[in-house]
Amino acid sequence: MSASVAAQHEDPPDPHGHGGGKVLPADEYGKATNGKIAMWMFLVSDAFSFGGLLLAYGILRSGAHTWHHKFGELGWKYATEPKLGINFTAGLTFLLICSSVTMVLAYAAAVEKNRKQTLLFLGLTILGGWMFLAGQYHEYWGIWHPGLTKEGLILGRSAYASTFYVVTSFHGLHVFTGTMYLLVIFLRTAAGKTDENSIELVGLFWHFVDLIWILVFTFIYLL
Amino acid sequence: MAHASKKSYLAIFGLLALLTALEVGVVYTGVARKLLISALIGLAVTKAFMVGWFFMHLKSDTKTMKATVAIPFFFPALYAFVLIAEAAWRHFQ
Repeated sequence: MSASVAAQHEDPPDPHGHGGGKVLPADEYGKATNGKIAMWMFLVSDAFSFGGLLLAYGILRSGAHTWHHKFGELGWKYATEPKLGINFTAGLTFLLICSSVTMVLAYAAAVEKNRKQTLLFLGLTILGGWMFLAGQYHEYWGIWHPGLTKEGLILGRSAYASTFYVVTSFHGLHVFTGTMYLLVIFLRTAAGKTDENSIELVGLFWHFVDLIWILVFTFIYLL
Repeated sequence: MAHASKKSYLAIFGLLALLTALEVGVVYTGVARKLLISALIGLAVTKAFMVGWFFMHLKSDTKTMKATVAIPFFFPALYAFVLIAEAAWRHFQ
């Protein structure tokens, strides 16, 4: 091995002047932490999962002769499939937008080192997430009126039903995961074990959940 | 890290709520299907962009960070367009 090749394999000098073997992101990433870059990488890969599901939905729907099946039409022997409730889901969309703004306000409070406000806004964000999940439960199984499962939208019975349940439940799983992640950060913040970077990371995940819902709401419900 | 003020976060929130109301309103107007699809996709992409740009702070990230997030979506978006267009074309044959 020549001297120049050997030199390339040595540990490079730390461009940020830190010791202790801590590797920081390249200067091109500015002040972004390793955690932030890693979270973005995860979110991009997660977006591909949603993209795959929405793509399958798009192909199935654009190639389907009938999307909503009606009793007796084209030999459909089951009950007429219900249409999705736009007004109720618009309310859920508004709820997620509200939780996104409380999340970003929690981050702003964390930057100002205001722990009390950070906790308040994190708590409101968690509440928004739980209310969204309750809304989704109501939509599927019904609380104050029969849910879609009782109205004849059955998983596996049609492409319309299956794509609806697969896409929305996969998103619901993300909301659940997000609320659990937020809860952990809430408790750690209460114990004084977090900083603005921890709040920014959970914020990225939560805003992503909101961003995906904006697309799911349009493609699955409105179109 | 210097990010937008609380006031601007609330302004973005108001705009997102307004665009959501507009989306629902457009559905009830009964416009032609092609126009409806274009309007709804346009509104959804605008809202999604606003969340990423302002709430996820891409606005204040470096060019490299923005490119790291945006570039991977180019080919999947292209595949999506081609595959859905192909399925729709077969449907209308």
